[in-house]
Amino acid sequence: MAERPEDLNLPNAVITRIIKEALPDGVNISKEARSAISRAASVFVLYATSCANNFAMKGKRKTLNAGDVLSAMEEMEFQRFIAPLKESLEVYRREQKGKKEARKDKDKKADSEEQDKSREDDNDDDDERMEEEEQNDEEEVDN
Amino acid sequence: MAAAAAAAETAAVAAEDGGGAAPCAGAARAARLPLSRVKALVKADPDVSLASQEAVFVLARAAVRSGAGPGRAELFVETIAKDAFVYAQQGKRKTLQRKDLDNAIEAVDEFAFLEGTLD
Repeated sequence: MAERPEDLNLPNAVITRIIKEALPDGVNISKEARSAISRAASVFVLYATSCANNFAMKGKRKTLNAGDVLSAMEEMEFQRFIAPLKESLEVYRREQKGKKEARKDKDKKADSEEQDKSREDDNDDDDERMEEEEQNDEEEVDN
Repeated sequence: MAAAAAAAETAAVAAEDGGGAAPCAGAARAARLPLSRVKALVKADPDVSLASQEAVFVLARAAVRSGAGPGRAELFVETIAKDAFVYAQQGKRKTLQRKDLDNAIEAVDEFAFLEGTLD
């Protein structure tokens, strides 16, 4: 059964929880409404991705980056999302950096070779592929 | 691979809690960011070659704000739920229904991209 992109829904539990948080206590959501909102969120991601990709292409880059997504928000007239998204991104970056430090220390202990450091830096190419491990370092090149 | 995804998600949520630093931050953590699902959506676009981890994170966050964290402004799901709820209230209902959503989509310019996509 071939899935259309819009059918790739975000988890129901997440969607339901967020809807309930947004609405006053005692409000219910019909199954159809919940499912429609979930679908809308998927469409939102698809549309934002496409928009963001335009910015990446304009910048002659093959890799979509966070800046492209923020530009997409502006383009889609969701400017009010931008500030909170930037804040979240900062927190995320700090957290990723912390993970990177922790991994470097772990590698040092494991191998105790100088080459580990340069090996990680040279792995920037691998970082861009998001198919594989999510634990790869974020690419810091085009922002 | 699945373990890595779970770890990344947990870490992302933990980061948000760390930013809040409130004792009840853990309890307030409502939902985990579905990074893997968002990634699947991004990959579904044939024009997209690659996307950085950060890009996926920002997309997930824009779609689905999860729990406590910096910037309490509403993001997509919350925004559309609230806008739709206005119509439920007009109809004196306490249950949000599909038609409320349709009304919101029709009424709000920013939701125009959703027209015709939810069926």
